[in-house]
Amino acid sequence: MLPIKYNAKNVLLRWRSTLATILGIAMVVAVYVMVQALAVGLEKSSANTGDPRNLMIVRKGSQSESSSIVTLEQYRSLLYSEWIEHDANDRPLFTADVLTLVNLPRREQNGEANTTLRGIGPMGKVLRPQVKLVEGRWFEAGKREVVVSKRLAARFANFGIGDRFKTGPDWLTVVGWFDAGNCAFDSEIWADSDEVRALFDRDSYSCLLVRPVNAEGLTVLTKLVEEDKRLQLLAKNEVAYYREQTMTATPIKWLGNFLATAMSIGAILAAMNTMYATVGARTREIGTLRVLGFRRRTIVLGLLIEGMLLCSIGGVFGCLLALPINGYATGTIGFESFSETVFEFTITPALASQGIVFSALIGLFGTLIPAIKASRTPVIDALKSL
Amino acid sequence: MNPIVEIRKLSKVYAQGEIQVTALDNIDLDITPSDFLTLMGPSGSGKSTLLHIIAGIDRQSSGICKVQGIDLQGLNESALADWRNQNVGFIFQSFNLIPVLSAYENVELPLLLTRLGRPERRKLVQTALELVGLEDRAGHLPKQLSGGQEQRVAIARALVTDPALVVADEPTGNLDSESAQQVLEILQSLSRDAGKTVIMVTHDPRAAAFGNRTIHLEKGRFAEPSTSEAKA
Amino acid sequence: MTTTTFIIRNALRNKRRAFLSAMSVAVSLFLFVTLQVALRELTIPPEDIGASLRIAVRNKVSLAQPLPVRQLQVIEKIPGVAAVTPFSYFGGLFRNESFTTFAQFAVNPNRFTNVFVEAKASSEHLQAWIKNRGSCLVGLDTMERYDLKVGDRMLLTGTLYPADLDMKIVGTYQGTLDDRSVFFHHTYLDELTDDPGTVGTWWVRAASAEVAPQVIQSINSAFENTSSEVRAESERAFQMGFVSMWGNIKMLIDSICSAIVFTLLLVSVSTMSMAIRERFRELAILKAIGFRRNELLSFILAESLLLSLLGAVMGAGGAAWIFHYIDIQALSGGMFVYFEVTERMLGSAFLIAMVLGVLSGVVPGLSVCRMSVVDGLKTLD
Repeated sequence: MLPIKYNAKNVLLRWRSTLATILGIAMVVAVYVMVQALAVGLEKSSANTGDPRNLMIVRKGSQSESSSIVTLEQYRSLLYSEWIEHDANDRPLFTADVLTLVNLPRREQNGEANTTLRGIGPMGKVLRPQVKLVEGRWFEAGKREVVVSKRLAARFANFGIGDRFKTGPDWLTVVGWFDAGNCAFDSEIWADSDEVRALFDRDSYSCLLVRPVNAEGLTVLTKLVEEDKRLQLLAKNEVAYYREQTMTATPIKWLGNFLATAMSIGAILAAMNTMYATVGARTREIGTLRVLGFRRRTIVLGLLIEGMLLCSIGGVFGCLLALPINGYATGTIGFESFSETVFEFTITPALASQGIVFSALIGLFGTLIPAIKASRTPVIDALKSL
Repeated sequence: MNPIVEIRKLSKVYAQGEIQVTALDNIDLDITPSDFLTLMGPSGSGKSTLLHIIAGIDRQSSGICKVQGIDLQGLNESALADWRNQNVGFIFQSFNLIPVLSAYENVELPLLLTRLGRPERRKLVQTALELVGLEDRAGHLPKQLSGGQEQRVAIARALVTDPALVVADEPTGNLDSESAQQVLEILQSLSRDAGKTVIMVTHDPRAAAFGNRTIHLEKGRFAEPSTSEAKA
Repeated sequence: MTTTTFIIRNALRNKRRAFLSAMSVAVSLFLFVTLQVALRELTIPPEDIGASLRIAVRNKVSLAQPLPVRQLQVIEKIPGVAAVTPFSYFGGLFRNESFTTFAQFAVNPNRFTNVFVEAKASSEHLQAWIKNRGSCLVGLDTMERYDLKVGDRMLLTGTLYPADLDMKIVGTYQGTLDDRSVFFHHTYLDELTDDPGTVGTWWVRAASAEVAPQVIQSINSAFENTSSEVRAESERAFQMGFVSMWGNIKMLIDSICSAIVFTLLLVSVSTMSMAIRERFRELAILKAIGFRRNELLSFILAESLLLSLLGAVMGAGGAAWIFHYIDIQALSGGMFVYFEVTERMLGSAFLIAMVLGVLSGVVPGLSVCRMSVVDGLKTLD
């Protein structure tokens, strides 16, 4: 086996001539990581939403809460179930929410977008301990007041505490900001459900959220809801429900993979070119090694390691290049909700490792052919080469 | 004493474009152990080819070449590589040291193919470097050494596995006369004092004088009958 | 042998390197063009012929809020309004797909043809559609994609509406930019949903382009301070509203394009430099023979330009050729319809290739010019 330090030293020594390739690979990895960070961020914004103890009830066939309808009748038929947990004051942990999309202007003339306005029942906050008030106060029942997500407030106009905005027939006043720990609720505006129903002339609700007494209760309630043909409702664990709403990330992931594939072809060609040149300059050296007794496959392996090492250095640079984007908050239209979804670019350690492995693979495929060709040169020709 | 190298009816023909070139034409040769043999001749005479075949880095087209009783033709690539590692030391005109490795590491290279552990390797490398008088330059890179010093490191590398055969292809071609003298004296001592068989290709008659037997080649054949001129 | 043949032979002397260099330019320019095309389609949706006269009217709260039916009479009476139809997006799923590639709209068939004038259907199909409340008109693209015939049933599962549709296909239309949609009777939808008395949007055709802005204003003010205020806007503005919801996507794609071009530059410069350095000796000989510096420079430049332009032809030209022939709709699941490579994009690609060729030749070329003949001849490697 050739000593690793031989390969490592070669890579370090020839850094100048291979610099362009390293930088090129760095760019490829950086682009890949950034696009996937977008996808990861989008997925994450929906993934860790909800309390695992809760049960979400929506209309069967609806793709999101805002297009779901739960009638008053359906609401009442479930409200008094014995399987629902009660709080210290014996009130059922049960909320009927009404969601509506409201088209509002972004800050700094950045166009308009749909936002999700969620009217919650009195138990709505209790059932969602994820959501914490960070500034101002909660809205009061019976008033045209709202609290907005802090992250949403950063992106939209008129969301400062004390500001008002008009939608439908009336003005709504922002009285507080909340932080939901980077989950789906961070893209929402919350208000009192009765106020929202009155504002938009709605008879029905959008969905129900309940806390069953225990795990058995969850199963029983699910069965109850789904087997009642009259109801036409779907019951799902809250966390599972939100986790499945991640179709928005899909085209982005697709874009990331497409870009990665296309760019990697170019990168492999570049790596190949570099390795051909590198190997070409060392024909005599490789011949000497063979004379000394090193096998062909040992030499090929050594060159492969060099190529992979070289490209991995590029991969590490690429990840560093992409790093500043981590945590950058922005928003785009969510596929299922059809409203603005705020998210942060998220580079996880897994993603960074993916990027580096990706660059190593580029090195592998780019070096393979030059390495094999170099090892096949007959020893005497190698020694003779200038 | 049995000859260390036995060659019978050796021929090498290769194609250069469309022409067939005969590098060696039906050579017969015996080499005695501990000989310091010089191969001389004009360019294209086949002297390097003969050297390469004896050293196991080229194969003949026909004929037999046995080194230490082993017919090299019968060994496959891998076996030949192993055989070279243990039995032949190489010295080239352009030194052929690995630029990124230090003198010590260059000399150590052939030992990496053996099963020896680090302490044993260190002993052998140090011995080899002492033999050529470069133990204090062990940490230097080739570019930090003079031509003569580089060639001596190459000699140390050639000796480190204690091979029976040492082959040198124009070893003094790139050296000034003082370094050349040094190198040739070492080669001579290897043959006379260490009992190694040294085969050297050169076109410099002054270099050839260091050997105890000279063979002239021309167009793939011996130009004069091979005579043994044993020197005291 | 002329100078040109000399240059070409030189460029191709190391066929493998020439191929790799040209190919890496080709791949990167292909990617560049593809991204530009995608960006263009996403941010500047293509316009139909009748678009300049059409006006979209939606609830001011958001597109998701419905509008009351009684608004129709008011809109009809506004001066400058030539025709108006209800237009409600059904958003159903077809054949167990989790994501259906064609849209379905509930409209008033009689009024519809007056507003969307470019949709051409045979009068036989149109009459059949108008007469039969449970029937629908399907765009030609969808008919072909799913192998449907006139007379087949169109079954759709409701996601936005609590109703599933079961209709008969009585005709097809074509001639619009998006010949995929399904149009059916709003009365049929009303029947299935217990007639809530609402529509999704109104689409209006203005009598002429001059009066269109005035019509928009009139519609907006007609419903101010009512329980359902509206936002009327031109079809163009309506489309751009969707684009605006994407957010910073243009910036994202532009940045990626810049990254690609930059990477390309780096790699080409490095490849060319390697190629030149390999031939220092040979170039030194040319110098010794008597070729002047700028002649040598022009040889090198010509060679690098040749390779990069070849790459541009393969990459950008290849992209244009491929997108002309493949069905991008099928491949992208309906996300892209047109995918057109414009002349401007091809121009940019070739310009980039030229800059690339010049830069990657100049950098090593200058060092060749500076080298002395003696040094060059001494170069062994």
